[in-house]
Amino acid sequence: MALNRSTLPRPSAFKAVFLAIAFGLIAYMVVVIVGLVLYPPLPALIASLTSPEILFAVRLSLITSAISTALCAVTAVPIAYSLARFSFPGRKIANTIFDIPLALPPLVAGVALLIFYGPSKFGQMLAATGLDIIYTPVGIIIAQFFVNLPYMVRVTRSAFETINPRYEYVARTLGCTEWGTFRQVTLPLARSGIAAGLVITWSKSIGEFGAVLMLAGATQMKTETLPIALFLNMSTGDLDLAIAASVILIVISIASLTIFERYGGGRGVF
Amino acid sequence: MLDIRGLSLTLGEFSLDGVDMTVGDGEYFIVLGPTGAGKTILLETIAGIYTPKTGTIILDGREITRTDPKDRGIGMVYQDFMLFPHLTVEENIGFGLRQQKVEPGRIREQVAETAELLGIGHLLERTPGTLSGGEQQRAAIARALVLQPRVLLLDEPLSALDTITRDRLRRELRAIHQATGTTVVHITHHFEDIFALADRVAVMQDGTIVQAGTPDEVFRRPATEFVAAFTGMENVFCGVSKILDGEGAIDLGAITIRAGACAPGDVCAGIRPEEVIVSRESFESSAVNVFPGTVTEIRENGMFSRVIVDTGLPFVAVLTRQSVARLHLTEGGPAYITFKASAVHVFKR
Repeated sequence: MALNRSTLPRPSAFKAVFLAIAFGLIAYMVVVIVGLVLYPPLPALIASLTSPEILFAVRLSLITSAISTALCAVTAVPIAYSLARFSFPGRKIANTIFDIPLALPPLVAGVALLIFYGPSKFGQMLAATGLDIIYTPVGIIIAQFFVNLPYMVRVTRSAFETINPRYEYVARTLGCTEWGTFRQVTLPLARSGIAAGLVITWSKSIGEFGAVLMLAGATQMKTETLPIALFLNMSTGDLDLAIAASVILIVISIASLTIFERYGGGRGVF
Repeated sequence: MLDIRGLSLTLGEFSLDGVDMTVGDGEYFIVLGPTGAGKTILLETIAGIYTPKTGTIILDGREITRTDPKDRGIGMVYQDFMLFPHLTVEENIGFGLRQQKVEPGRIREQVAETAELLGIGHLLERTPGTLSGGEQQRAAIARALVLQPRVLLLDEPLSALDTITRDRLRRELRAIHQATGTTVVHITHHFEDIFALADRVAVMQDGTIVQAGTPDEVFRRPATEFVAAFTGMENVFCGVSKILDGEGAIDLGAITIRAGACAPGDVCAGIRPEEVIVSRESFESSAVNVFPGTVTEIRENGMFSRVIVDTGLPFVAVLTRQSVARLHLTEGGPAYITFKASAVHVFKR
């Protein structure tokens, strides 16, 4: 026994202090989040989860986030490939511009979008054609797209950057067109990176609040996504519904984080 | 015939600067040069990955300088194989045929045939990640060969392999070349490749071809100091040449050596170690360069010994081990070196 004990590595004071801080904070985060889920009595939580308002919010969130994520993917792939592979004047600036929304508070992005689609020349033209963006579900999609495109671009770009361009060169000498090479070689090789980008983008769209609030407003049962439902019910004091919305958001975050960690392995996103 | 004229291109820190090169039909052509000479860019430009700034590439009488890579009929094999990791070996080799919409049955046949030629017929179901380096390189060569390219470009195809695999694949490359008659342009920085494979060789330095010819020509008569140093000419000394008694004499500082024909001025002189004769006594002969010195090093290297004789300048000579013993050469002992004026290769500086 004594022998066993002595062969155990004795942690140094340095290691012990650092580990203690790490575990302390991990415990703190788990307690805070689990505490929220366990706060309402279970029957009340289930009733809230199945209430028409929450069901509406879930549906609206799923639809808008699916569409905005699809739009992000379709546009991010060519953008990311261009940034990763082509040299063109202003490439550095282009990279920076796509990073701006990452640093910008979503509220500010939302205000900018509101001005652009509202009182600006472009907004007035849109209004003249009868197309309503502001305070509509379409506004939700636009806000999510604008804020989350940079994330998709970043993850996809790093996926393309890790592919040796010589794979593409070889494919070209084997008779592939540029399109064919992209479809048959580049995309399959970037597959897991793109999948990781989709997951992170989708989960961020579901949780997007600031930009959506500004552009689409917070109208009950109209532009009420999960975060908006959380916000509306908090402000009217309906804690159970607010917690129900939070619980769903927590589940979505954890699930998407798990998938991302699994497939996105170490790609710099943030 | 592949005819390259005045090819120039700059890509970051690498560049081609007026490359001229002609490769005959069925020829095995090796481009030799140090890292950073622009060899890979040259191959990629021939393959059509890059468009040159100036110059032309003519293949079988047709200009292809701006032709799409897919329409050139030029195959490319990289040092690090570049097999598509998401496809099996069979799908990799059949990749090009699939682009041509060849009927699947025919693809399978031709893939099997080429794989057999390369000795990887039993690996077709595997994915590239599970193969050894030598197997991957065979698969990469098969993938290019199955399309029967007019020119096959090999970018250091043996460099990523261990010595034994490299020697074996080198012999196989020779056999494949003889069997298929494909024109090959192979870049390398190994001399062994040249002696084993090359019909002709070009030496590349700083983005240009500094010399081209048969291996013998290039090794016997290096055109510049660089080629000499790079192809293994070990005794390279620099000095001033002048004409003395109608013959060239080069003042190297410590000694003055006689050379055949040479122009006066700053030059470097190279003498191959094989052409330096070592003896205990000076002897009368047609060779005019005779210098006494001290043996400073005897290093055994297989059948041969490298002997360094210091005559004021260190000369490297290569002797058989028997000769070293017969002459009783010892480190620190005296010796004479003798070499002909015609053995002195002179390069202008």
